[in-house]
Amino acid sequence: MNIKAVAEQDLAITLEDSENGFGVAFSIKGPCGTIIPDIVGQTGDIHFLIDPDTGQAISGRVAHVSLRIASLAAGGLGLPEAVNNSSGKPWVFTVGVATFTVREARPDRTLGIVTVILEAYDAC
Amino acid sequence: MTLASLIDKQDTFEIVRDQIAAILVLDVAKQQALAGLAGKDPTLWAFDVYLERFRPWEIESDPPVVNVWYDNSTFPEGRGNVVKEQLSETIYNIDMHAKASSTDDAGGTGYISGDELASINLHRVIRLVRNIIMAAENTYLQLRGIVENRWIQSAAAFQPQQTEAHLQNLIAARMALRVRFNEFSPQATPTTLDYLSIETLRTGDGKVILRADYDLTP
Repeated sequence: MNIKAVAEQDLAITLEDSENGFGVAFSIKGPCGTIIPDIVGQTGDIHFLIDPDTGQAISGRVAHVSLRIASLAAGGLGLPEAVNNSSGKPWVFTVGVATFTVREARPDRTLGIVTVILEAYDAC
Repeated sequence: MTLASLIDKQDTFEIVRDQIAAILVLDVAKQQALAGLAGKDPTLWAFDVYLERFRPWEIESDPPVVNVWYDNSTFPEGRGNVVKEQLSETIYNIDMHAKASSTDDAGGTGYISGDELASINLHRVIRLVRNIIMAAENTYLQLRGIVENRWIQSAAAFQPQQTEAHLQNLIAARMALRVRFNEFSPQATPTTLDYLSIETLRTGDGKVILRADYDLTP
């Protein structure tokens, strides 16, 4: 097995270890309705200061998840993406009690990881 | 030489600043009450009003936010005098912030995009603020005799920066309101030095002379 494949396999430890690592379980629902109820990845939700081009700073918040692409495929889902056409359902991530959708997906196909920048979503 | 009296009053620009915020607060409450009586959703007529805030916002609450702040004043030459008063043309900025999350359209096949919804919410606030400020009742901002004229010079939305993908769909707009009024200056209280009695006379050859009576203490 070459090093790239080893690195991808190591994601099970570096990304998906919810016992001894930073892995967190959450659910993903694709636009077609397919759900992966307990996929593990790394999550982040931090505050920072942004300037909305007014010269006035506003407290902002950035949330993201990082997933193993192979785990998405194993669960029957492809790569998440922002769904701009509002006539269809978007991707929905449920982390704890909060729901999000995809603002931007940043796949790294070299390593087999996708980082998804999240946007607040009201799932009603 | 220094001023004899304490400067212990608001300038007109401060009075007008507070009045703009007060008008918005009272009218937005009235609009919500009227909406309720009309059987409509009062939250669509709601926004929070702040005055002179410049620290970063933590906009987690639902109602849009309006911030009234003083920007600048210009004093046109020739409108006023060097002794007592100057005409002031003052700009107040009314900043409006609205946010929205993308939302599932319950029972439907799609969803409502949060950026579009935030913009619609913002435009609704712009509509409310403009109508309130430019209403006939507020021609002089209810300060007739103080305010000569009020005029909305511009309204512009700020495009959110896309460099950071933040969680909230937040968009802001600024309305520039120009108000014209007088600013007054402290006046010196004259001191009586002495009293003189003066009689104006004309001599036979046409000369004008003055005859005055006063005490002379050497």
